Amino acid sequence: MSRLWKNSNKYFFDSIYIEESALNYTITKNIMEKYNTSNFIIIKHYKDVFNRTNQNFIIQKQNQSLILAVKSKPFIYKGPDVCQNFGYSNFYYTSFLLNCIFDCEYCYLQGMYPSSNIVAFVNIEDFKSEIKDITSRETSFLAASYDTDLIAFHSIIPYMDYFYDFFKDYLNLLVEVRTKSANDIFYKTHKPMDNLIIAFTLSPNDVIKKYERYTPSLDARIKALKTALSQGFKVRICLDPIFIGEDVSFYYEPFYNYLFSQINPEDILDVGYGFFRMSKDFFKRIEKTRPDSLLFCEDYSLKDGILSYPDDLQKKVMENHFEILTKYIDRNKIFSL
Amino acid sequence: MVFIVTALMLEASPLIEYYNLKKDMNINNYQVYKNEDITLIISGVGKIKAAMAAVYILSNFKCKKEDILVNIGFCGANSLKYNLGELIIINKIKDIDSGKDYYPDVYFGKNIKKETLCCSSKPIFKGDYIDDNNILIDMESAGIMEAGQKFLYVHNTVILKIISDFLNPKNLDKEILKGYIKNNISLIDEIIYELKSLNDLLKNPFDKEEKIVNILCENLNFTEAMKKMLFKEVKKAKLKGLQPVNILNEFCNMEVKIKKEGKRVFEQIMEKLK
Ligand code: SF4
Repeated sequence: MSRLWKNSNKYFFDSIYIEESALNYTITKNIMEKYNTSNFIIIKHYKDVFNRTNQNFIIQKQNQSLILAVKSKPFIYKGPDVCQNFGYSNFYYTSFLLNCIFDCEYCYLQGMYPSSNIVAFVNIEDFKSEIKDITSRETSFLAASYDTDLIAFHSIIPYMDYFYDFFKDYLNLLVEVRTKSANDIFYKTHKPMDNLIIAFTLSPNDVIKKYERYTPSLDARIKALKTALSQGFKVRICLDPIFIGEDVSFYYEPFYNYLFSQINPEDILDVGYGFFRMSKDFFKRIEKTRPDSLLFCEDYSLKDGILSYPDDLQKKVMENHFEILTKYIDRNKIFSL
Repeated sequence: MVFIVTALMLEASPLIEYYNLKKDMNINNYQVYKNEDITLIISGVGKIKAAMAAVYILSNFKCKKEDILVNIGFCGANSLKYNLGELIIINKIKDIDSGKDYYPDVYFGKNIKKETLCCSSKPIFKGDYIDDNNILIDMESAGIMEAGQKFLYVHNTVILKIISDFLNPKNLDKEILKGYIKNNISLIDEIIYELKSLNDLLKNPFDKEEKIVNILCENLNFTEAMKKMLFKEVKKAKLKGLQPVNILNEFCNMEVKIKKEGKRVFEQIMEKLK
């Protein structure tokens, strides 16, 4: 993918792979029309391209291709322990997309997938029926954009449009859409709904510059957040991942103060808080593909297969951060792992 | 290193001339020509021969994953939509015999046509192939893909084809064919340049440091575990903007006689790097 299409703000994919079985879906037809100068390559199964051996994540990230595919079961998964469930025991996540247009240095997807090309699933009706099936029994929490950014992808495939009516009618389901995007089209063109939370991941601007390549600045994200709020959407702030280190720790206090000088804390639904953490296996893989990353050179402590900062250090930093945050927001509105 | 495989001398000779490649007289099994950063091998016709030749040079010249394997050769077309002598970049290969598909990544040649290629183990003539109206056919690409994917990053196996005929490959004029390669040589050169630049991103940023750490560990009898710890600290120091090479150089001429002394020096270096 060339990051931007000529002078417009449209993303461009040099190569678009299309599964034979995906050809007749609406999303595929729309993409073929929209990107009619891309090279379309017909494939049998997305894994024939996505799972090839010896792919290089870094090179592909700079030249991302799009793969349109039909997903087979399962369509939703039980939420893992490393994710926040915000108090819901029926916590699920789903992935309409594999991979993301952003390139955060700390992103665990680099260790999870063999490729950084983007797979977009086109059979949205199948997702809907399984979501309905599994979650109809009791109230559930569904993270719909946990390991990608649906709002950032909205101008390529507007998944939020396709799912809007479904989510709206299905009140048993509380949906969280996590984003770092400054794209505010969705908030401007749709009415808010009670069971949809837009969760903005925010970090100090220097942390964004250091670790979150291709993502919008803090101010651009705050602007989008304000639009979402002014349109009546429920907004969550995710302060996750938090980094500890002599080169970053001092950014947080001014960041929290700035954030709540811009946003009225009363308007915020709640805050998610979490430290940088990653499964040991993913970490080992990324360490190899990103030899120039200081983040993956540091030593962390290992607990239950997850690498992160030592418990006592986390506790100390968290206490310090919460002291600042609770000046603005009630303690029981802050969720941490 | 850029490894080029062509089936025929006819396809190779304009490249040998352009890159000023010299015959490697130490190799008898194949005709291999090379300069400092290009090695060319003539495989003979067919995908098995192509795979064998590719594996031969990739392993004989101890390739790294960042090296590049390019197959340059002719293909036939059954559609007049293509021009004779036109260069095409291949983004999908269908092996007609096995039914297997291959997908070379294409991150170069912005304005050059990209197409699917069918690879057959025997020559295909007009009329033999009635399945699809726009089709390109060669006899080597699937073999090159099989070989490349074992040794290199996927984006480094590249298939470039030049249209030689409309599936009527008899009595082709050799000089005209050579001309087709010659006419495309600047495009081929640009593609090779783009591929090399792409792989620059993958250069080991700690090459210099790694070499000094190796020398130091040898001189000071450090264990493998110590070497690993030292290299990690050196990397960290460099990423923090320090000059670990200068620190390591201070210790390079030092020699230790007993293990205990080595340990003491090791701690000293580690301390200095922090
Ligand atoms: S936004 Fe999230 S999913 Fe996308 S690269 Fe960053 S961490 Fe990964």
